[in-house]
Amino acid sequence: MRDELRRIEREFNSALVSAGTDPQAVEEIRVRYLGRKGEVTALLKGLGSLSAEERPAAGKSINDLKERITLALLGAADAAEAEAHRLSLAHEAEDPTLPPLLPWVGSLHPVTHTRRLIERVFREMGYTVDSGPEVEDDFHNFEALNLPPEHPARDATDTFYVQGGLLLRTHTSPVQIRVMRSRRPPIRMICPGRVYRRDWDATHLPMFHQLEALVVDENISMADLKGTLALLWKRIFGPDVETRLRPGYFPFVEPGCEYDISCRVCGGCGCRACKGSGWIEIGGAGMVHPTVFEAVGVDPERYRGFAFGLGIDRIAMMRYGVDDLRLLMDNDVRFLRQFPI
Amino acid sequence: MLVSIAWLRSLCPFDGSAREVAAALTARGLTVDAIREEGDDAVLDIDVPANRPDCLSHRGLAREISAAWGVRLAPQPGGPAGAGAGIAELARVEVLSADLCGRYAARLVRDVRVGPSPAWVARRLSSCGLHAINNVVDASNLVLLELGHPIHVFDFQRIADRTVLVRRAAAGERLTTLDGVERSLDPEMLVIADSRRPVALAGIMGGADTGITDATREVLIEAAWFLPGSVRQTSRRLGMATDASHRFERGADPDAVAAAQEMAVRLLADLAGGTPAPGMLDVHPTPVVRRNLRLRADRVGELLGFDPGEKEIEASLDALGLAPSRALPRTFEVTVPTWRIDLEREADLVEEVGRHLGYERIPARLPVPGGEPPPHDPDTDGEERCRDVLAHLGLHEVFCYSMLAVGEDDPFSRPGSGQALAVTNPIAEPLARLRRSLLPGLIRSLDLNVRRGSRHVRLFEVGRVFLPTKSGGFPDERLRVGIAWCGAARPAHWSGPSPEVGLHHVIGVVESLLEAVRPRALWRRTDGAVPGLHPGKTAIWQAIAPEPAPGAGHNPSEPFAWCGALHPAEKKRLDLADAAFLAEVDLERLRSLPARHGGFTPLPRVPSVSRDLSLVLNPGVSFDDLRRLLAIPRPPAPVEFEVVDRYEGPPLRSTEIALTVRVILQPQERTLSDEEAEEYRAALVKALGEKEIRLRT
Repeated sequence: MRDELRRIEREFNSALVSAGTDPQAVEEIRVRYLGRKGEVTALLKGLGSLSAEERPAAGKSINDLKERITLALLGAADAAEAEAHRLSLAHEAEDPTLPPLLPWVGSLHPVTHTRRLIERVFREMGYTVDSGPEVEDDFHNFEALNLPPEHPARDATDTFYVQGGLLLRTHTSPVQIRVMRSRRPPIRMICPGRVYRRDWDATHLPMFHQLEALVVDENISMADLKGTLALLWKRIFGPDVETRLRPGYFPFVEPGCEYDISCRVCGGCGCRACKGSGWIEIGGAGMVHPTVFEAVGVDPERYRGFAFGLGIDRIAMMRYGVDDLRLLMDNDVRFLRQFPI
Repeated sequence: MLVSIAWLRSLCPFDGSAREVAAALTARGLTVDAIREEGDDAVLDIDVPANRPDCLSHRGLAREISAAWGVRLAPQPGGPAGAGAGIAELARVEVLSADLCGRYAARLVRDVRVGPSPAWVARRLSSCGLHAINNVVDASNLVLLELGHPIHVFDFQRIADRTVLVRRAAAGERLTTLDGVERSLDPEMLVIADSRRPVALAGIMGGADTGITDATREVLIEAAWFLPGSVRQTSRRLGMATDASHRFERGADPDAVAAAQEMAVRLLADLAGGTPAPGMLDVHPTPVVRRNLRLRADRVGELLGFDPGEKEIEASLDALGLAPSRALPRTFEVTVPTWRIDLEREADLVEEVGRHLGYERIPARLPVPGGEPPPHDPDTDGEERCRDVLAHLGLHEVFCYSMLAVGEDDPFSRPGSGQALAVTNPIAEPLARLRRSLLPGLIRSLDLNVRRGSRHVRLFEVGRVFLPTKSGGFPDERLRVGIAWCGAARPAHWSGPSPEVGLHHVIGVVESLLEAVRPRALWRRTDGAVPGLHPGKTAIWQAIAPEPAPGAGHNPSEPFAWCGALHPAEKKRLDLADAAFLAEVDLERLRSLPARHGGFTPLPRVPSVSRDLSLVLNPGVSFDDLRRLLAIPRPPAPVEFEVVDRYEGPPLRSTEIALTVRVILQPQERTLSDEEAEEYRAALVKALGEKEIRLRT
């Protein structure tokens, strides 16, 4: 009897090993040993033919074997199920390296990116962002800015005229006039926008974007102008950028200046980009001319102000290394998509 | 302007290299654009600002160098004493138009031998970009380049009656100028004339008849001061910009007349062997007024941002030849030299001090904030959000010119919107009118991209259109968003085909934009004709509540947004390769549309109930019509309608379509019973049935 049980258990174990994780094979083994006609079932059924003395010991041995087999079968069935699950997951696997499903990806114009960057610097400092009409009259575009008719400085701004005695603004300065006429100091504002000049070649477009800043208060000096410009250009081009002021003439400021930043190509040592000077000319600036204050009804004895301007298109070209101005107005999507949101 | 370093040295014995001069002049506001070595000389190209005509000469720049180096100018050599009869006996000058000529001085040099100039003269002229012509003309050019005061030389024997008149031209008078061109004159123009005819355009160019020739023996030298505006106007009118007009129109020094005559006479004696007639005819109707200005030391500090102290201020003014004296405590009185026409007020003197001390001495600081920080500006926020939304939806931002060709936006303009405003001096034909629509520019850009090989192009622009107003004057500038789209609706993907863009894709983009810029605004979308678009493939958006009108009046029933397919006729006319869908939104009207309150709505506690209605629509019935009918029966709870299917084909008739509308009832407090839902459904079916919309069976 004992030998018989050992043989059964040995054969069961080897059968189970060879069944592995095949659920079908495991089930067949269960039927072969624990099924209605299984070997262990047959042994239990044969207990009746034993004597009363032998029966308890044999019964215990057979039941112990049945329990071991049952547990082993359960374990094997679990393993088989786990394997089947693994296989089915493996079957569902996808290739994540295929091109994904994406919506169209759009872009913002490099001039918009650059304008926003500049605007953010000024908004953080409490400046308003103002705008004005693009079709202007002579008063706002020239006269109030100390550019009376026949003023030779009008030569520098070749103007587009519009029927009805109007013109396309040649700079955003008329917005300064409109703001100063409608609000009392203190004023801190910037005005970005389209401007127009009658000039069209490799380095000039008849329409481009300017941004001007104006600060009017009781205690404003050129030192405030210098500090504000230094901060702006550090925020845009990094902490190593130097700013310098040079005397320069614009009829609407006095003292007036032009301002340069250190050349970003050579870092100020002198190269072809800066014609050896180490500096790149950026724009005009200065203290609001007393005549301008008088034209807008601000007392030049009580208030002082600074103003400066810059060309957004040119700054955008410098930021992104765009070497051809015309690309900015070509609207070629192969160019535009290089400036994602 | 080109200047010779050697020439500058002859006027001011400073000790510095060309490079140092260039740096010093640039730091003083006279930007040196280039330095060119020329043998033992160097030539600087200087960008002289429009307010500094005094620096359009070697002497003017030498003054700046003298101030920078602290070295005195060399004295000007005197001219030879004259001989023979005095000029007063030989010539007559009369200024008849004193309003345009403040001073007219003439000298006469006789026994002149016209011939080539010596080499040094030719060299000086050529380094400044002028050619040597003959010793007399060259002498006048040397005066121009050294003193900056233009003079003119006449062949005196050709001046009729030895009489010089300064007068306005008579109507119909003509003058052939030295460049050989015959000019028609008018009474706005100032001329120099003899007793018979004009002989020169005052301050611009002499006449050919009285010019210097090899036969000239007597030279009349003119040194004058003409009204800048008059010279400028005549020079513009005739399209003649000369070295002389450039200086006169910016403002010459009326006091330089004598010095210019002195130098000219000396040169004519030296170079051409002439003998001056003693004396100078000097008609001087407008006396020179020397301007006195006052400068407060405190004002210097207030404007420059640092206080240099009275000593430095005084030294700066002195170096610049402004002869400062102390009037009041901490106040200087200065006398402005006659050549500094730019110094008119105290602020100008502050700049002079700053310029002389150097702008690098200005410290850098940030303005101290005054007043409250400004509130957020919802308008700018909306405009920026609009850009973000469209870029996120896959469109590329472009900038198109605000100008279009004549008639280019006519097909896209509503009848009665007026003629596009004309640019009176356009730079090119495609930029001759101010645009009334963003669409033509976007179509141009779309087409350019397609021609360059891009198949799927989605563009938008945020920009202004310029609508003429009935009253004339300023146009109504309106900020609009324009959209143009061609090609596929979605990027190509291996998972399946992507449809071509259609009306409903563009409507979706427009409504995402409307919601982003003006959330919960009250508008409705409907069909309607849009100029330039396909009559059957358009949508328009209208306000459904009265709007507060922004800016100049507009018609409230006018749509504030529209979209659709480009009209096939336009597509053919423009020779476009692909179908294009377009949209335009008036951002200003959108921003001012009334909107629903945006508060919180409690979440429903009970489940919703839905019923699907499959309906057959007859031709001409739109979903909007259907929705209006569905709105008639009173629902037992808040209701929403969704379109879940659209079908056309058998067994429907060819003109019919079927729509499946899901009716979703969302009660807030208690569950809706089946009977209530069925009752409502039956009411809907009845209402539809009255309009001959039947259920699909």
